[in-house]
Amino acid sequence: MKILHLYYDIMNLYGDYANVSALVRTFEKNGIGCSTDKLSFADDAVLSDYDIIYIGSGTERNRNAVLEDMRRYKDDLKACIDSGKVILMTGNSFEMLGKSITDAKGNTYEGLGIFDFTVTEQNKTRNTADAVFSAGFTDKELVGFINKCSEIDGIDTPLFTVKMGLGNKNGGDSEGIRRNNFFGTHLTGPVLIKNPHFLLYIAGLAAGEDRKLSGDHLVYETAGYDITIKELLSLRKD
Amino acid sequence: MKRFLAIVVCKFLRVVGKLVGKGSSLPGKFALRICPDVLSRVKLPEYIIAVTGSNGKTSTVEMIAHVLTQNGKKVAWNKEGSNQIEGVTTMVLCNATLSGRVKSDILLIESDERFAKYTFRYISPTHYVMTNLYRDQLTRNGHPEWVYNALSESINDKMQLILNSDDPLISHFGFGRDNVIYFGADKLATDFTENKSVYNDGAYCPHCKKPLTYSTRHYNHIGHYECASCGYKRHGTQYTVTSVDLEKGEMTIDGKYNISLALRSLYNIYNILAAFTVGSVAGISAEKIASDLSDYVMKNGRVVSFNVGKRMGTLLVAKHENSISYDLSMSVACADKRGCDVLIIVDAVSRKYFTSDVSWLWDIDFEMLGCDNVHEIVLAGTYCNDLAVRFSYTDIPQQRIKVFSSIEDAYHYLDSDRDEYIYTITCFSDKGKFLSLV
Repeated sequence: MKILHLYYDIMNLYGDYANVSALVRTFEKNGIGCSTDKLSFADDAVLSDYDIIYIGSGTERNRNAVLEDMRRYKDDLKACIDSGKVILMTGNSFEMLGKSITDAKGNTYEGLGIFDFTVTEQNKTRNTADAVFSAGFTDKELVGFINKCSEIDGIDTPLFTVKMGLGNKNGGDSEGIRRNNFFGTHLTGPVLIKNPHFLLYIAGLAAGEDRKLSGDHLVYETAGYDITIKELLSLRKD
Repeated sequence: MKRFLAIVVCKFLRVVGKLVGKGSSLPGKFALRICPDVLSRVKLPEYIIAVTGSNGKTSTVEMIAHVLTQNGKKVAWNKEGSNQIEGVTTMVLCNATLSGRVKSDILLIESDERFAKYTFRYISPTHYVMTNLYRDQLTRNGHPEWVYNALSESINDKMQLILNSDDPLISHFGFGRDNVIYFGADKLATDFTENKSVYNDGAYCPHCKKPLTYSTRHYNHIGHYECASCGYKRHGTQYTVTSVDLEKGEMTIDGKYNISLALRSLYNIYNILAAFTVGSVAGISAEKIASDLSDYVMKNGRVVSFNVGKRMGTLLVAKHENSISYDLSMSVACADKRGCDVLIIVDAVSRKYFTSDVSWLWDIDFEMLGCDNVHEIVLAGTYCNDLAVRFSYTDIPQQRIKVFSSIEDAYHYLDSDRDEYIYTITCFSDKGKFLSLV
């Protein structure tokens, strides 16, 4: 299994790197050999060489710097998404894949244009929230945290339904974006650590249907998830 | 009239509040309701010193107040650390006469980073000390650059900026500006060159976003940096830590002023240096400041001694959601050659708001607790499982780690015949839960 952790050094704002660590351990515990390449601006990544590609979250300025650099991967990235490669982007990184990003000063940056959505940022309020989402691919809800300053318009294939927290648009009930095995969500940080069922789902997609992955090693992860979802659901009732 | 009423109400509520043990922001809140611009209607002292930054604000302010008062200055300052506009209002009005004159030579304000722009709309500091910008309470603060942007709105051209030159982001407030006083540390014996942390906020230049290189790092992104692309680099310093010996507990400023350290950590040396700088700017002699700061023991309750049965220990307050604060507290335990056990508690992430976010655990260098001086590691609190997962990704042998969801169970476990000294590392939100047991 080959994992690409792209822009590992600049898109790692909320402990995002742990998602890659979680994937590596899950493959290894299941006897699947695994290697990770951590690449950034100075490297030439061949996206098609990898089984999983991951990008985490960054500051708005860092994300803009990465967007400029990513233009060279635009066609390859689109081909990877179309071919069903497993790609996970957390935090504001998936915003780069839309038509445009307009920052708080009104400057508009052209996006990679792989999706049709548009992103609008503001600099007055940081929109943060604990989140509980549901998804079609799992019975269990997902937990996590949203930390952003943007709203996104024009996503018609969302990844999650918002049970608690923030959606793509303020007040909206859909969050993130999915196409084939591309997963984009504004959940930040170690999403795959906090949600062991999501980890097994993503890892399973990459390993292939014939390979049933065991999550026996995820004892503390599962206990942590159970406590967090309980805390968040009790909050929702208040 | 409104001003008079605001002052009277503020003073009254403060007296009542002290009797019933309430915090110091409520009186200011009511005063602001009566007279929203009351801060610009009081007569302020000639010198107004403000301190902000992610870490070290409260300690730095306490030490500045100590130095100034030891040298005959009358100082009004926010002792309780209530550092948003309401708390600052309480402090200012309680130190004012009924006619609205602040009865001190110097007003010393600790200010929250994000709210400084509101407070300083009414009170413009003459001297503005900025200590550092770290990943701190990101569930509220967004990220360091978001805080930088908020802070930039609190600065005006007239202020004398006093900046930590070793922090590339905070130091950037001095970019293109004359008349900035910089403080910082020379290359130290404990320095390194490669980033040792699990993240690197010094990887890219805050000015142009091209790679930043370090000739030396004191810790994390604090050190001597330079951008080969745009030329942005660490500014030379007027006040400088020239050497530190943490083992002996001694630091030297400007090559000749020795200060012995009550708390042997690198963050303490920056707080001391900032206080030294302000004292010098206020015209106090360097020798006198050094002697006033020598062995100064902080009164703000961030270091507390305790006993668990026959065992002795120290509680070090680290801030949840602030990895550098954890790193520096853990380094105190790692430096203890007697050998020690470490208890880490994460029960409530914050005392002010609810969040279940523990992503910040992944920014902390828990790996360092694998050192020889640390023997057993006890993890406790609601988020003990998340802590245990985080530790499972270090090289520390799992048999050295014990996990308890109940703090009381962890306490009983520690009440044993072991000889090791105990370091308890946790936040304000959780420290009382442990100290009530010992």
